[in-house]
Amino acid sequence: MISTATIGETNTISAVTSLMDNSTKREILGLEMQIETPENVILTYQLAGPAKRYIAYIIDLGIRVGITFGMMMVIPLLGIVLPGTAIGIMLVLMFLNTWGYYTISEGFFKGQSIGKHFCGIRVIREGGYPITIWPALLRNLVRSADAIIFYGIGVTSMILTRRFQRLGDLVAGTVVVQERTLSLPRKPVILDKIQPLNKNEIGSFLPRDEILSLIDEFIGRRHVLTYERGHALAAILANNLAERLNYSGDPKKVTQYPMAFLAAVYKTFSFSQEEEELVAVSSYHPRNRSAEMHFE
Amino acid sequence: MNKHKFIQQRRPHWKQFEETLTNSSRRSLSKLPAEDISRFSKQLREVSHDLATIRSRGWGHDLISYLNDLVARGHNLFYSAPPTNIAGLYRYLAVDFPRLFRANIGYFLVACLLFFLPLGISWYVVQNNPSLATRIIPEKIMANFDQMYGDESPLNSDEEKAESQQNSDQPEGTNFGDQRATMAGFYINHNVGIALKCFALGILLGIGTVYTLLFNGIFLGAVSGYIVSQGNGERFLSFVVSHGSFELTAIAVAGGAGLMLGNALIHPGQRKRFESLQVRGLEAVQIAGGAAVMLVVAAFIEAFWSPADIPNLVKYIVGSGLWLLVFLYLGLAGLQSDSRLVPVGKQERTRSPESNYCGTPRQ
Repeated sequence: MISTATIGETNTISAVTSLMDNSTKREILGLEMQIETPENVILTYQLAGPAKRYIAYIIDLGIRVGITFGMMMVIPLLGIVLPGTAIGIMLVLMFLNTWGYYTISEGFFKGQSIGKHFCGIRVIREGGYPITIWPALLRNLVRSADAIIFYGIGVTSMILTRRFQRLGDLVAGTVVVQERTLSLPRKPVILDKIQPLNKNEIGSFLPRDEILSLIDEFIGRRHVLTYERGHALAAILANNLAERLNYSGDPKKVTQYPMAFLAAVYKTFSFSQEEEELVAVSSYHPRNRSAEMHFE
Repeated sequence: MNKHKFIQQRRPHWKQFEETLTNSSRRSLSKLPAEDISRFSKQLREVSHDLATIRSRGWGHDLISYLNDLVARGHNLFYSAPPTNIAGLYRYLAVDFPRLFRANIGYFLVACLLFFLPLGISWYVVQNNPSLATRIIPEKIMANFDQMYGDESPLNSDEEKAESQQNSDQPEGTNFGDQRATMAGFYINHNVGIALKCFALGILLGIGTVYTLLFNGIFLGAVSGYIVSQGNGERFLSFVVSHGSFELTAIAVAGGAGLMLGNALIHPGQRKRFESLQVRGLEAVQIAGGAAVMLVVAAFIEAFWSPADIPNLVKYIVGSGLWLLVFLYLGLAGLQSDSRLVPVGKQERTRSPESNYCGTPRQ
């Protein structure tokens, strides 16, 4: 009985779940990079595209030009005492500015030059590890090959590779990723005004956790969409769910107010499960029990 | 286990982990006391487990991306590379660089062939037929050389002030040491730049490196041949002999590293092309780095010793000594077994290319 229900469920709502499966599978045309950590967990990083990196490059270029001008202001002061040495020091500093700016900043400041810091991007190794001095040196020496024809070679390489790597990144085994700020997800939507579905109007079908989370997040972000678009999207899931649930209540609830219907489904199942756990009648829901054992 | 319950139960742990992350991101993890580090390790594994749980249950994209970022930060901190320090630098110059150089000596020999052979040929040709020099060297620069190494040059007391391949203006009215410092800066800027470019352009299937080596070889040969043919050979050779040891060898070393990059793409062996590029690139850059250090040494010799007012005989003796030194260094340094490098030897395992490539946890 249970097994047939599970199979049916996966078939009907596959249109919806395929949307979620895609995000966990490897995408060819995505901005995501996946890495498996030694803890056997898949980590995803958001890759930085050429545009963002270009802005970072412009900022860095400005800083490097600024450093050159700064040196031209300061060095002549030293030149009053030792004119020759001053020029020598200046030449060495110019060398470091040309060849060492990126290596030093990325090698010692966790993969961020000043421009990258402002753009919120960072260089890491392909394995997800922080960059060290040798790869930093390598990727920035090869920069001079990338820079041919105004970075034409580098940009071509970025377009042709899946992870937006220029030649320097390919050699050094590095990628540039976007930094994301941590934000704890908000509390799940509490729907006080929504009435749970009447138990007499629905069958024995239990939606999966994925579906409930999908509803939760969809409702949480409904203000992003226009009213019509949001309801049109919600209708797809609502119709499928109503059919699956053998919903025998007012059909207008599903067609006119699909979002409210979804909220009702969410409330019915996410809270009913909790209550049942409290009562500890876990034998009614073998799936819940096994899940709990698995977790603990 | 219900989603809300799970979040409720785990949220304090995540908050705590987040706090640990922000506190220790400023300082290196290695500066924390031992129990903090093992607690951090435990937390990282717990949060990783939470992430895996939530992924497999499909408990929402927001939650997954939050935990993903949390784990990513912890991962970065926990698996960061051992810090680089002075001992590491010493070990690199004394052991790692010569070893890597010898392990890939074939590339160096090819680079030598591409650099010294054209140099020798163009030297020989131009010395016997100086008029050919105009085909390679611009007239203006040739006039400069005549002036620099000629009898009427003001170098008889101060010897030569500038070297063949460059023709910078001399600042006037300064004393010897001060003026030399300018040249030292110039040589570092100019020569190391050439060597690094020679290496980096190797990524274009080695073509850039081959071009740079051939060009510099032919040019230097022509300049030398021309100067010698004008009867200034004695002055020129005594000037060049000392720093030439480090400088010319280093150019060939950098060229060899560049050829390594190119060859990694052309002949990847059992690996994929990009993999082979990464593995050999990491070795090549360490060789190129060594070449850069050698060129800095050469720049100081060239600026302060080569033009000094010292009898030519002394210069020749010291010069041959330096050549010998370069060969001994590249040929013999780092030959001792690692067990003799006891205190530094422990770093060997963590600094070997393979494990460096993967990163190693430090606890």
